[in-house]
Amino acid sequence: MNLQDFLAMEESRERDELIDLRSLDLVSEYDSHLMCPICHCPFVEPVRLQCDHVFCGSCLSSAINSFRSADSDEFPCPSCRNPTQKVSASVPRLLINMCDEIRVLCPLITEGCQEIIPRGHVQSHVEKYCGYRLLPCPDNSCDQMTRSKDVGMDQKCIHKVRRCAHCKENVLEHEYEEHEKELCPVLEVTCADCETVVTRGALQEHIESCPEVAIPCAASKYACPVKIRRADIAAHEQSCPIVAMGPYFETQNARLKSLESSMRHLQQRNEIFEDGLANIRSTLFESTRLGANSHSGGQPPQSDREQQSSARVDAHTDDPADLAAGVFSSNATTYLLSLHESLREEVSQLSHAITDLDARASMAIMNECMRIKEDIAHTNAAVNSVRMQVQWLMNPRLHQGTRGGAVRPSSTESEGTRTNMASSVAGPSHATGQSLGPLRPRRPSDSGREGTKL
Amino acid sequence: MGSIKRISKELTELTESPPEGITVELADESNVYEWKVIMEGPESSPYYNGKFLVKLSLPTEYPFKPPTVSFATKIYHPNVTNDEKGSMCLGMLRADEWKPSSKIAAVLQFARQLLSEPMPDDAVEGRIAEQYKNDRGRYEEVAREWTRKHAC
Ligand SMILES: [Zn+2]
Ligand SMILES: [Zn+2]
Ligand SMILES: [Zn+2]
Ligand SMILES: [Zn+2]
Ligand SMILES: [Zn+2]
Ligand SMILES: [Zn+2]
Ligand SMILES: [Zn+2]
Repeated sequence: MNLQDFLAMEESRERDELIDLRSLDLVSEYDSHLMCPICHCPFVEPVRLQCDHVFCGSCLSSAINSFRSADSDEFPCPSCRNPTQKVSASVPRLLINMCDEIRVLCPLITEGCQEIIPRGHVQSHVEKYCGYRLLPCPDNSCDQMTRSKDVGMDQKCIHKVRRCAHCKENVLEHEYEEHEKELCPVLEVTCADCETVVTRGALQEHIESCPEVAIPCAASKYACPVKIRRADIAAHEQSCPIVAMGPYFETQNARLKSLESSMRHLQQRNEIFEDGLANIRSTLFESTRLGANSHSGGQPPQSDREQQSSARVDAHTDDPADLAAGVFSSNATTYLLSLHESLREEVSQLSHAITDLDARASMAIMNECMRIKEDIAHTNAAVNSVRMQVQWLMNPRLHQGTRGGAVRPSSTESEGTRTNMASSVAGPSHATGQSLGPLRPRRPSDSGREGTKL
Repeated sequence: MGSIKRISKELTELTESPPEGITVELADESNVYEWKVIMEGPESSPYYNGKFLVKLSLPTEYPFKPPTVSFATKIYHPNVTNDEKGSMCLGMLRADEWKPSSKIAAVLQFARQLLSEPMPDDAVEGRIAEQYKNDRGRYEEVAREWTRKHAC
């Protein structure tokens, strides 16, 4: 048939399906070839495509609806994507039978049905045979539902309430018989021991006080084997030696308990001490080994090893004297070691302080130098300005002097006055040269000027 | 609502006998459509030793529409978008190639297979695909680096 017909058929079929076969609980394993690749359940009403792929009819119709492009008469197979136009309802009978044979739980398991049935029979089981299917009450005036197994041969309503003649309680019709025979609290029963007749409700109370019921002796927890009638128990307890011993046992028990608890306490403390001792031992061993190592720094390695092993023996020996000696020697070495350590620390502190001081001193020197350099620059500037002034003051005189000198050779002045003149001219220039001398000893221009002046 | 039954069936199968290097659980116990998958990098790939968180979302039309797979853990791979989505969409995951008969297990195995054998001709990250084709060593180096940084 073509797709349209198939879809129409599926549409109409879905309505008369009561039970969802896919939601059943499967009891048996089934062959994976029986699984629909779309819903992953055993096939339900399978159909076949041209490519021989099989699907549940309903699964295929939803696949067609979601894969077919608007009303074309073709769609891709959900397994192999081959374009498909025809759907065939003729699936091998064998396949359908195998699917129908799969064992499932009755879906009314929620109501109490425990039956396991082939899947093919589920529909009819639920409709006709299941004792837990709900039927309308046979009495037309009652609108309640009844489990089919509760509808008796007499077809009467079980929802009617009947009042118990003894206890005045309201009981459902179909439970009345059970109530009357076994459950009614007013029902009279006889005590199995004293044959007194009491009501069911009071039986428990009676058993607790019945003189005929055998009860154990009060000292049963201290192993009195006697178990006799309540009426006689008082007499027994009077004479029972174990009852007489009772208070003694009790105090003994209490003592044992307190001893046990203190034992436990002591054990805990002991464990703590042992731990502490082990810690101390291991630290001792460490330090003696360290000490041995540092002492034998210069010695040959063989004696080093000897000392180590002896230290180990010391640490492991249980002889208290040896241990004490070990403790003492190791105490001394640890003391020396710590002293060494603190000295080393002091030295490093000192060296720190020294570098600090060094840095500070050089800083101060630098600062001082800067200051002095500035001062010198100031002085230089002052000296320069003074020199300029002197030069300025000297210039006119020098001009005069040269003018006079140029005239003098032609004149008839004596050699003596000329030298006098020259010395008087050179005098002040000498003085400036000398005052500048110590400050700027190598000014070539100065000496040159002096030369020219002389 | 047939899809919920199939999905929970597949989930049970996957948790009872998980495929190699793949563990699945629901992201939220009350929603069977969102799965959290931990995928271990295959030994033969530069993603080895990495544990990648993969999100698998099933459409309500499942199995008639394909699930979507996205890497929540950053991964350097030509077929996984290098953004916060980290989506992977090719081959059987494409809507026009999806078959309702394919199982989620097959989808996850396909995704893991893609880690050891990327498909550069079908890439979403062209640059990585180029590198994968022309400079395999560098690609593996970067992928390993990313794995170490993001997936360990
Ligand atoms: Zn199906
Ligand atoms: Zn097919
Ligand atoms: Zn049943
Ligand atoms: Zn009724
Ligand atoms: Zn009663
Ligand atoms: Zn009695
Ligand atoms: Zn006794």
